[in-house]
Amino acid sequence: MTDGYGFPGLPLADIRPGTSLLVTGPIHEGSRDLAVRLLAGTPDEAAIVVTTNQRAARMADDCRRMGVATAPERTAILDCVGTDGAGVNAQVHQVSGPSDLTGIGMRYSDVHAGFADDGHGRVRTGLFSLSTLLSFSDLRTVSRFVHTLVGRIDSVDGLGVLLIDPGSHDERTVRTLAQFCAGRIQVRDGEDSLQLRARGLPSQSRDWQAFDPLPE
Amino acid sequence: MILCVDPDEDGRAATAAALATAGFDVREVGSVAAATDAIEADGGLDCVVTEHDLPDGSGLDVLERARDAAPDAACVLFTDTPIERVDTAAVGDLVAEYLSKSEPNARDRLVALVDHSLAFRDQTAYPLPDDEDARIAALDRYAADSETLDGALDRLTELATALFDAEAAAVGLVDAHEERFLSCVGVALDALDREDTVCTYAILDEEVTVVEDTLDDPRFEDNERLRAAGLRFYASAPLETPEGRSIGTFCVFDSQPTTFDPRQRELLGLLADEAMEQLELRRRLRVDEGGEGSD
Repeated sequence: MTDGYGFPGLPLADIRPGTSLLVTGPIHEGSRDLAVRLLAGTPDEAAIVVTTNQRAARMADDCRRMGVATAPERTAILDCVGTDGAGVNAQVHQVSGPSDLTGIGMRYSDVHAGFADDGHGRVRTGLFSLSTLLSFSDLRTVSRFVHTLVGRIDSVDGLGVLLIDPGSHDERTVRTLAQFCAGRIQVRDGEDSLQLRARGLPSQSRDWQAFDPLPE
Repeated sequence: MILCVDPDEDGRAATAAALATAGFDVREVGSVAAATDAIEADGGLDCVVTEHDLPDGSGLDVLERARDAAPDAACVLFTDTPIERVDTAAVGDLVAEYLSKSEPNARDRLVALVDHSLAFRDQTAYPLPDDEDARIAALDRYAADSETLDGALDRLTELATALFDAEAAAVGLVDAHEERFLSCVGVALDALDREDTVCTYAILDEEVTVVEDTLDDPRFEDNERLRAAGLRFYASAPLETPEGRSIGTFCVFDSQPTTFDPRQRELLGLLADEAMEQLELRRRLRVDEGGEGSD
């Protein structure tokens, strides 16, 4: 299980298993789309998506739109919003709400163990978004949650993608949360296209690079 | 020490044996009450592994008490109770791991989980310096008989308050879970949990750290310990060993928010260097005498 996680169609080199990324940028300017798209993997990979402020059905739609093939045996959505997941082509698990970080973490561990039992050793994890969690809990609690989640992802050789809108938070908040993640992907709206830039990751270009958020 | 809480004696013995075989020091109890006694009695709690259903309450009660007494401890619910029956809504800020006993090789998975959590200390509420293990190892060489230093460091902290017109100054060592103060003037500080001290964040930077107003900083605005101590302004310079490990800080405080100019930063850095020099000289003296603190 030493192969890196790949990102076809994006200007990013493969990323080492066990890595978590903080994706930062204005939510409406492509950072959310990019963060979701980073979960698109090979058919042997599974995905666990934590949605803090969108219904599971909307999250599943976003996944499909961004090229993440969903199916109950390989996709799980942890829903903090309180929808039942009827008609969603993925496992949907309820968490009591975005302030229940204990519940999110425990449910995550249980779902991950289930995937591992079914032979899905490679799991991409998305959390959309930390900004919601920060509006319900203090930075210290969110820090502990992120540290624990990132540690878990590291221990199981997964890939973590955590989204935050830096415009909604003090710079010291973003910097503190970034310190738990091995790398950071910044997104901005360039002149002609969206652009991304990697920070803290070996073997990645450090320059701004254009990308097309929608898969081909 | 790992506290293993389970009312089922056979299951508990098997879990404890698996952890002990992996090299951990394990203590076993069977109830919330006994767990609470153990948590409050022992200062060296690293991890709690608990069943959910206990005769006098829930495993979540145990984890809450552990989180309160030893905030950095790894908390794990290792249980027969399915996740759907674990009601976390009231303890959303606890943050803990869940592992079902019905998983294949559940005890092996538990050992792997605990092993990783303790090695990487990934349930702390604050970031760790990249060189944390080396930093702690370096710290151990300076921590021995620090009492002999009090006079020298007290003179420096006193000078600092006068120099910066600050109400208080301190020299603190940031160990694995706490900051302990070798000298304090103008403020009485007991050992602080690492998640409660500004120095925890200051040692992440090589430079002087200035927080002009702790109430206007998202990292500290909810910090009750700082509020209780009346600390609003904070500035510190790291105590850096000759190998470049930040083992603590020289800090100044005030109850009023204020600013700190470049010259003041420079002077604070000099005081930190002088304090570190005192620590280093004491350490070398101990080495020459063949005492503790040798490499």
